Amino acid sequence: MFSRLRFHTKLNLGIIAIVVGMAVTLLPLVGSMTARALIKENKQRGVALAESLAVRAVDPMLSQDYLRLRNMADEASGVGDVVYAFIENQHGRVLTHSFHKGFPSELTGANRVGRDGKVHIQLLDTGTEHIYDFAAPVMVAGQRMGTVRIGLSKKRINMTINQLTTTLAGMFGGALFLVTALGTVFARTVTRRLATLRKHAEEMVKGNLDSTTASPPEAHCWEMMNCEMADCPAYHDKRRRCWYIAGTQCEYHGQKGKSDNLDSCRNCQVFQQNVGDEIQDLAETFDLMALTLKNHIQELREAESNLTHQQRLMRTVMDVNPDRVSMVDTRMIYQAANRAFAQFVGMDASRIPGKTDFHLFPEDEAESRNLEAREVLRTSKRVDRQERMENEDGSEQWFHVVQIPVYDDKGNTTGLLRTDRDITDIKAYEEQLIQAQKMESIGKLAGGVAHEINTPLGIILGYAQLLQDDVDKGSQLHQDLATIEKQTKVCRKIVADLLGFSRQTESAKREMCFNNSVMEAASLVKHAFSLDRVAILTDLDDRFPIIYGDPEKLKQVWINLLNNAKDAFTDDGGTILIRTRLDTPKGIVTLQVADTGSGIPAANLKKIFDPFFSTKSVGKGTGLGLSVSFGIIEDHMGNIEAESPLPDGFPFPETPDAPLPGPGTVFTVNLPLDHCPADQPA
Amino acid sequence: MQLIRTVVTILLLAAALLCSACSDEETVVKVDMNKRAPITAAKPAESITYAYLPQYSHTISFERHRKLLDYLRNETGLPLRQIFPDTFDEHIKMVERGEIDISYTNPLIYIRLARLGSRAFARIIEPTGSPDFRGQIIIRRDNPLIDSLDDCRGKRWIAVDPGSAGGYLFPLGLFMEHGLDLADFDEVVFAPGPGGKQEKVVLAVNAGAYDIGTIRKGTLDIVRNKIDLDQIRVLAQTRPYPGWVYSARKGLDPDIVERIRRAMFRLTMAREDQADILRTAGMRGIISAQDKDYDPVRALAKKIGMLSGGF
Repeated sequence: MFSRLRFHTKLNLGIIAIVVGMAVTLLPLVGSMTARALIKENKQRGVALAESLAVRAVDPMLSQDYLRLRNMADEASGVGDVVYAFIENQHGRVLTHSFHKGFPSELTGANRVGRDGKVHIQLLDTGTEHIYDFAAPVMVAGQRMGTVRIGLSKKRINMTINQLTTTLAGMFGGALFLVTALGTVFARTVTRRLATLRKHAEEMVKGNLDSTTASPPEAHCWEMMNCEMADCPAYHDKRRRCWYIAGTQCEYHGQKGKSDNLDSCRNCQVFQQNVGDEIQDLAETFDLMALTLKNHIQELREAESNLTHQQRLMRTVMDVNPDRVSMVDTRMIYQAANRAFAQFVGMDASRIPGKTDFHLFPEDEAESRNLEAREVLRTSKRVDRQERMENEDGSEQWFHVVQIPVYDDKGNTTGLLRTDRDITDIKAYEEQLIQAQKMESIGKLAGGVAHEINTPLGIILGYAQLLQDDVDKGSQLHQDLATIEKQTKVCRKIVADLLGFSRQTESAKREMCFNNSVMEAASLVKHAFSLDRVAILTDLDDRFPIIYGDPEKLKQVWINLLNNAKDAFTDDGGTILIRTRLDTPKGIVTLQVADTGSGIPAANLKKIFDPFFSTKSVGKGTGLGLSVSFGIIEDHMGNIEAESPLPDGFPFPETPDAPLPGPGTVFTVNLPLDHCPADQPA
Repeated sequence: MQLIRTVVTILLLAAALLCSACSDEETVVKVDMNKRAPITAAKPAESITYAYLPQYSHTISFERHRKLLDYLRNETGLPLRQIFPDTFDEHIKMVERGEIDISYTNPLIYIRLARLGSRAFARIIEPTGSPDFRGQIIIRRDNPLIDSLDDCRGKRWIAVDPGSAGGYLFPLGLFMEHGLDLADFDEVVFAPGPGGKQEKVVLAVNAGAYDIGTIRKGTLDIVRNKIDLDQIRVLAQTRPYPGWVYSARKGLDPDIVERIRRAMFRLTMAREDQADILRTAGMRGIISAQDKDYDPVRALAKKIGMLSGGF
């Protein structure tokens, strides 16, 4: 409850408590001391009265002058608070007294002179009041002649004490009122400044570090000291006191660079003029703290921004990396992983830290990875290997796995970094390279064989044609010879293809009309195709693009493409579309040969340009046509590609009489319009 | 918690202070003031009264003769009791009324008592060693107007008492021998009040209230502790006269007188205890006396006309 009171209320209560406490403590004490002092003073007065009377009573006692004795007693009792006075002789008999009606007999034995012969004081209680009784010996020449007794009423002492106590209480009351009023003013002065400090602290908590609490310095050090050191951090700093500024270069400052050494500033006139009380110091310290905090926060924010940028950059580098990157600590707990790894394990990247292999992979795989990783951590030897994985669809993927131990500044192993790089394409290229090398060998072999076979085939063909002339055209022998001639021509075709595949025949490139080349090829096969109910439609660019190429070889390509298209049809036939387009801005001319045939499976689509790859039955294709066509187009700086099925929106003309179209295939050949001089024949 | 401890400490301190303030409680004796009784004076026991002429205050009179009385009581076995008349006249009247049996007076008073039937039976030896004594005329040492007895003419004179021998009678005789009469003085007064008159004269001259004072020789030694004697100058002193005298009233049993005078005569300064008695009483011894020893005094009194009155 007390702790919830306002501070100035506490101060007021404290001051009042102190004054009241002092009053409660001191009033009885002062009253008691005063009473004792008054009583002591009255006792001394009573002793003086009694001794005086004892001295004065000697002569009347000696001369037995009772009248004088009586007068003395009456005179003594008539003074102020003296209640009575009486004189006894040496035998204790009362010689005279100041009472008017008889003498109180009990008084004689109520007090006696002490054995030391000095005045003895005895407090008497008469029932109505208290009386101090003083018994003084009457001494003459060292001999005691009698006793003088005087009674002093305590009532007057008590009245004086009461008056004094009342006055003291009034003084304390007045002091209490005055102290309370002054304390209120003082408390409000202090608490107002504290409230300012509190408000400043709240502003700091809210994040406002620009507000100031302390009043600005009354005078600036560079003005008072006529300082010209512009490099000093205190120079022209109008917000802080110079002794709060670190690194001040003031020659009067004890230790340069240490702002906390205030001892050296005690005698400085700048300090003496600008220094305040403790609350002022607190306010200045608050302001300094706010300023320091602000600078520190600013630095922290810059560092945070820099760190965030670095993290983002690192995360980006990690995430854009197609390799699966992950890092585990020595306890095999994942510390970080990139997006590729997260996608691989099917989990958000932010959830991976803290997991283990057993959380992310099947048990067998996790066990395998774990064992391998532990071995790397144990031996600190890098792992660098290739790993094959089989996908659910039966396809395979190859990865290049690297595991590297991670060390800290002291060389201790802190974890393990693992990258899984997808090298399936590289692996395919590698196979292709092997295949190409193999085909190159085969080509050389086949070329050599074909060259050697070509001559005998020419002789066989010549003799077969000669023999046909020698036999009847309708005879069986003529038919057999015709069969030999036909099959020999087939062989020559095969041999010619083999030669074309195995070695680059001499190119005969020249300016040629692209459309004419296409139409020439189409016309060559059009009749034969029609026998198989295959129609050829043309959609040629009427701008007649001119290219630089070998008309014969290109015609071979076109015929090859048309033959493949025809072979895609069943016996019901179909329609082939030949389409040419000139793209002047790009500088290319495009030929598309499309059919509505059976199409090419996706798995084979990449292999159709491989030599000897064929889906046709034995005897129908050699698997060299597209491979040779690919080589010719590449020789013309162009490219050839196939799509199956036909892409959506392909402008294939509707042919009502044709059978239902299949998925279809389109071959697209792009050739450059221009040619560089290097491409020209030497 | 800290606040509670502080409050408790303050309360304990206050309690300790309060206890220390009220620790010396006084004892009280109950007295019933309503029990009243009349006071009756005790009847004095039968005794032989002894009075010292109130030359000094009663206290000094008591002090000087207390030991002598104790000695006489022991030596004679008589119930001697000292009483204190306030004035010379009262002393004489008390002798006349028979209230004083043994009187110790100066010679001037004695010649008056002798006329009442008293008879001298002993006289003292003064501290000077002489049985006689003198009077002295004193002035302030810084008084520029008085250098001789003649200079006293027209001055204010304070004397001890009209019945004082050394303090009035002897100096008056000296003045008359030098041709000065009472009428030649501007003023002649006597020391006021009862007892202590010798001292009062010295003090009055010392205070400058009077120009000249007359005292018994030996008085200055008594006031030595009250004033600075360097301020007092003894202008002149009288011729010696027989000193103080013991006399017995008329009708007192002669046997008693005889026992007393014998005891007195036995006092000697040779014995230390008795010497103390004698020094305290202002004498060196007590010797026998007869009435005729005081005729010179009677002659002086007659000369100045005192015997025509009460003498």
